[in-house]
Amino acid sequence: MNPSNYLILAALLFTIGAVGVLLRRNAIVVFMCVELMLNAANLTLVTFSRINGTLDGQIMAFFVMVVAAAEVVIGLAIILTIFRTRRSASVDDVNLLKY
Amino acid sequence: MSAQILAQAAGEITRTSTGEAATFWVLAPVAVLAALGMVLARNAVHGALLLVTNFFCLAVFYLLQDAPFLGFVQIVVYTGAIMVLFLFVLMLVGVDSSDSLVETLRGQRVAAIVLGVGFAGLLVFPIGGVINNGTTAAGLTAANDGGNIQAIARLLFTDYVLAFEIVSALLIIAAVGAMILGHRERVDGKVTQREMLRRRFAEGGRVTPIPGPAVYARPEGTRLPAGLPGGGTDPGAGQGAREGCGDIEGNGDGDNGAGAHARGNPRPVGAGKGTDR
Amino acid sequence: MSATASAIAGPQVLAQGAQGTIDVPAIQYSALSPILIVFGVALAGVLVDAFVPAKARRVIQPLLAAAGFVAAFVAVVLLHARRQVLAAGALAIDGPTLFLEGAILLFALLAVLLVAERRLDSSGGAIVASAAITPGSPGATAQRSSAEVQTEAYPLMAFSAAGMLLFVSSNTLLIMFVALEILSLPLYLLTGLARRRRLLSQEAAMKYFLLGAFSSAFFIYGLAFVYGYAGSVNLGRIADAAGTVGANDTYLYLGMALLGIGLFFKIGAVPFHSWTPDVYQGAPTPITAFMAAGTKVAAFGALLRLFYVSFGGLRWDWRPIVWIIAILTMVVGAVLALTQRDIKRMLAYSAIAHAGFLLTGLAAANSDGLSGSLFYLVAYGFTTIAAFGLVTLVRTGDGEASDLSQWQGLGRRSPVLAGIFAFLLLALAGIPLTSGFTGKFAVFEAAIAGDATPLVVVALVTSAIAAFFYVRVIVLMFFQEPGADGPIIVTRPTLTYAAVGIGAVVTLLLGVAPQPLLDLAGTAATSGFVR
Repeated sequence: MNPSNYLILAALLFTIGAVGVLLRRNAIVVFMCVELMLNAANLTLVTFSRINGTLDGQIMAFFVMVVAAAEVVIGLAIILTIFRTRRSASVDDVNLLKY
Repeated sequence: MSAQILAQAAGEITRTSTGEAATFWVLAPVAVLAALGMVLARNAVHGALLLVTNFFCLAVFYLLQDAPFLGFVQIVVYTGAIMVLFLFVLMLVGVDSSDSLVETLRGQRVAAIVLGVGFAGLLVFPIGGVINNGTTAAGLTAANDGGNIQAIARLLFTDYVLAFEIVSALLIIAAVGAMILGHRERVDGKVTQREMLRRRFAEGGRVTPIPGPAVYARPEGTRLPAGLPGGGTDPGAGQGAREGCGDIEGNGDGDNGAGAHARGNPRPVGAGKGTDR
Repeated sequence: MSATASAIAGPQVLAQGAQGTIDVPAIQYSALSPILIVFGVALAGVLVDAFVPAKARRVIQPLLAAAGFVAAFVAVVLLHARRQVLAAGALAIDGPTLFLEGAILLFALLAVLLVAERRLDSSGGAIVASAAITPGSPGATAQRSSAEVQTEAYPLMAFSAAGMLLFVSSNTLLIMFVALEILSLPLYLLTGLARRRRLLSQEAAMKYFLLGAFSSAFFIYGLAFVYGYAGSVNLGRIADAAGTVGANDTYLYLGMALLGIGLFFKIGAVPFHSWTPDVYQGAPTPITAFMAAGTKVAAFGALLRLFYVSFGGLRWDWRPIVWIIAILTMVVGAVLALTQRDIKRMLAYSAIAHAGFLLTGLAAANSDGLSGSLFYLVAYGFTTIAAFGLVTLVRTGDGEASDLSQWQGLGRRSPVLAGIFAFLLLALAGIPLTSGFTGKFAVFEAAIAGDATPLVVVALVTSAIAAFFYVRVIVLMFFQEPGADGPIIVTRPTLTYAAVGIGAVVTLLLGVAPQPLLDLAGTAATSGFVR
């Protein structure tokens, strides 16, 4: 097996995540799909790290994890505030802004 | 197995070990199916658990690809902390809040799937083409020579030291942000003990604290109102207790039962506030 | 398996690690001083929020933030001749960087003036008293007129500004990614802090967050591919790798496209613009002003650096794509602006159209295009901050008069205010003697020199369409009778007057005597990007 097969797997996961973002209406699920996309990018980074023979890819994957952790805190806090008001986390209920 | 890898990793890798290939072909379908399941699951909690499965598979892939540090960080931080936070919020929001499958924008679903398939094709075929060119992987044996974690630390504090430092800003922002949206400052100040006492006397009525349920009563039980030292029951006491076992009082003979227990009292307990309901 | 391999090697490694020392690279902190000052102010602001009583906070926080931005601006001026790469290649200090850093700091300063305004009506300004109070709950109506303010907004603005400064000076894709998050996360939060129309504000925050996270996932995936191609994320090394012929060009093109999606989202280019109107409308108006000016400058700075430095050798590959996106952005922005009834949404679509005009400067792909874009960004930033600042002044009893019909006849009631707004709209339309004209002229001239004449033709046509809706608002203000529920004009809002006045004066100056700034932009651009 060629190590690059990981890249194809990552591409599939990234696409699944992206389609999920477009398909799903629940804000939390949409956010989980974004996390899946970030993880697909991380798998790509780790694989390229091995292909290139440098550790930079691993370091960057590490930074992505840190950033994702901060992002999750903010994101879930915002989603929770919305939920406290509307009792729903559906993106469709967010419709005051449609023109 | 590890000897085989070490021997192989000395040069460039064009083919991974059989063990790695086997693990990959077992876990890659699991990862893809878990991801698909996450997108398709009606229930968000199922989705979160499937995502955890997917993240575990990725952690194994990191371990296979000479990234033990990231592999464990993936399990500890991603699956352990981040996904638990997700589950936490899902539980807070309510597990039963399943998604409606009604399409609000007509054709959006089809468009998204077409777009996705196209995007996947755009990504996968070029990558596949590169693989057929016979990519070789340099392997990380040289880079990981002094140990993966040591090598990462060395890079982190040299080439990536600035990124490492400024990432701290993100953590502060996250903390401040969570606090802004979650913490509610007390606007009117805390009521002091003195003020509470003043108010109680000014309002008149009962000044002493209310005795707990079943105080001075012969049988013990939280549903009994407090008896008074000179006999009789305290009308203001034990209210909470009575409300707490409302179903007992509600079933008709509750009053009799309570009265029988408080034998010797001049007036039955049922004459308290409980019967008002 | 490999884990066991490294576990076996463990003990020897430890022995090695004890001998080996890590040489920390020299970081020239003096060259970093603008960024460090703003970060320092943000941290001090967080401490002030923790320890100072609420009443004092409302005075200290804006002063602290403003002082920080001024100090950082002075630092930028002192650094003006620096051209170097620092912190192990992580950051680059050069002409365009310093120019854009200065612009960002000035915009942040003006935005602080707008946020600090507390005399708009009975309410205590544009920022909510307590974001944690749920709209519709008993405390919600009381807090609308409360004197309290969520003063954390100032440190968050400082963090965001620091992220913007980092974004324009980043010399590696990783720093760019981290800076992108540092500038975005506070903005997601700030969007949800509007005092009036809390629900709208919270929804805008959620929408901004979800789409922002989506786009940064694309950015990081693109980063991964570029790393796979070049073996490094240093912008200069990417350019070196891109200059050689390799078998894996696919990775480079995929990476470039995905990075582009991430950045085009931030500047609000079509088809990645869908967040812009909603977020601009829902956010507190001073924050909208900050976002409209600051984010646009920062994202364009990063876009210019990435495409000029890293992908400069590939310009024949990316130019057609940039052409298409520029045309789409201009046309969609101008046409949809025509249909808007809400003044903030109209300005948002105008911002989209302006992103398109700016992209013509990128499509020019020459030094003039760079200097033209730099000038345009400054001119647009001042005008847009003044315009949004003015929107905060025209109010009804229920907050800002957002609907265009409520602006009807404003010229009769308050001729000065309406006159200034008309002038700003003309500047956005690009009428001569305003900065908008000079900016457009500089960018279009560069685009023609860069063989992008068809693009300029489209830009001129859409400028004409755009002029129509600006003029429509002017007609509405001056030549129609005020309605019964006409707006209330706030009196004595000193800080907002100051910000609007500065913005309007700069808009006029850059229209009448643009040469000094054009020269400055020219010098910054000709010295080019260091790598």
